[in-house]
Amino acid sequence: MNAWLKYGLMFIGLLLLQVLILNNIMFLGFINPYLYIYFILILPSSVNKDLTLLLGFALGLMVDIFCDSIGCHAFATTLLAYLKPHFQKIFGPREDYEAIIPSFRSFGSKEFLQYTTILVVIHQLAYFFVEAFTFTGFFQTLLKAVCCSILTILFIYIIEKLSYKR
Amino acid sequence: MRSLIRFLLKFKTLFFFLLLEVLSLAMIVNYNQFQRVHFLSSSNIVVGTLYNFSNSVSNYLSLSSVNQSLVEENAELKYQNEKLNIQLDRLRYDTTYVRRNEFAEDKHFIFRTARVVHSFTNLRNNFLTIDKGESDGIQKGMGVINEKGVVGIVYDVSGHFSVVMPILHSEAKINAKISGKSNVGTILWTGHDVRYAKLKEVPQYIPVELGDTVKSSANSAVFPEGLMIGTITEIERLNNDFYSIDVKLSVDFSSIKYVDVIEFRHKNELDELERKEVSK
Repeated sequence: MNAWLKYGLMFIGLLLLQVLILNNIMFLGFINPYLYIYFILILPSSVNKDLTLLLGFALGLMVDIFCDSIGCHAFATTLLAYLKPHFQKIFGPREDYEAIIPSFRSFGSKEFLQYTTILVVIHQLAYFFVEAFTFTGFFQTLLKAVCCSILTILFIYIIEKLSYKR
Repeated sequence: MRSLIRFLLKFKTLFFFLLLEVLSLAMIVNYNQFQRVHFLSSSNIVVGTLYNFSNSVSNYLSLSSVNQSLVEENAELKYQNEKLNIQLDRLRYDTTYVRRNEFAEDKHFIFRTARVVHSFTNLRNNFLTIDKGESDGIQKGMGVINEKGVVGIVYDVSGHFSVVMPILHSEAKINAKISGKSNVGTILWTGHDVRYAKLKEVPQYIPVELGDTVKSSANSAVFPEGLMIGTITEIERLNNDFYSIDVKLSVDFSSIKYVDVIEFRHKNELDELERKEVSK
């Protein structure tokens, strides 16, 4: 399949999955998985950094529009998109770096999980602190970020496991 | 100059990143102004349509719980309606209503909604099974109605289910009266047609007309007075000074889904008092 079409569909699919279904989970009243960032996490390394940034910003802004939280997701996802190539360099395989799609297979399970965990946690911390826009209630915000991170990582892990089997 | 351009180019990703972050922060800070920009909020047409669609899906999925709550609300309203009806009745023909009204207030009927889990209509002695039992406060002998009128009487109770003896049973003898008359007769089912029953023991000196409604009487502590049972469709004069009246039942037993069980809170008290009188 044409790569543009494939990633375009994935962009829309993950966006709709996020805003129509996952945002309604509200486990224990406040825990949602933010799976849409999976799109940024698995962008191929051949995508240039500016485009990654732009995609991150656009995706975040789209989610924001649905959540009426203008700017929060955009901020966090742009940060994620900026850091993603750097962490890919750290955890990804050194050889034939040029066309790697991050996954269990290409990184190795352990490295991919570390890569995912760090980026998801950064994203969630950024999102929740920017959303709260204050450091009062620091631990509450921290708890939210950690819980949502765990759920998000779990979702990504399951998806990776399923596609790894095939 | 060239070195400045080279510097900018070298860090162009960083600058782009910072630009986007500043833009995001600006949006957050000026949140209220951005809310006015319709296409950036969930009030825009695309988002609205999508939410509408997903809402209709989730609405469809929650239909059964909505239904349940409506049914319960219905029972509550019925209970209130019954209370008001009793008050209204007293007010209509009783000038000393104040004291009687207190009695009506006291004579609480409690309605409990139950779902019919199984029903027979094709036997001579039919039964309904409902999904509430002893643990829900149902007891033997309580009246059962639905929104159309009288259904029957609770016949047997287990922990979570009850068996109801409907009008369509040879042993079900429900006290009834013709609307507007005070004389009491008995509703009996003849076993032929689930839509019809007979009203017996109405003496011939009372004028009865086709189309009169038959309602529950106040004679029993099972049903509140004036619940619909059916309408008169045929009148026959017997030799023994009584009528034989055909009644079209208002309850459609073949499609019964939900019923209300009526508890008369002071039934035991009344029974005891009456027993004492009889044994005297």
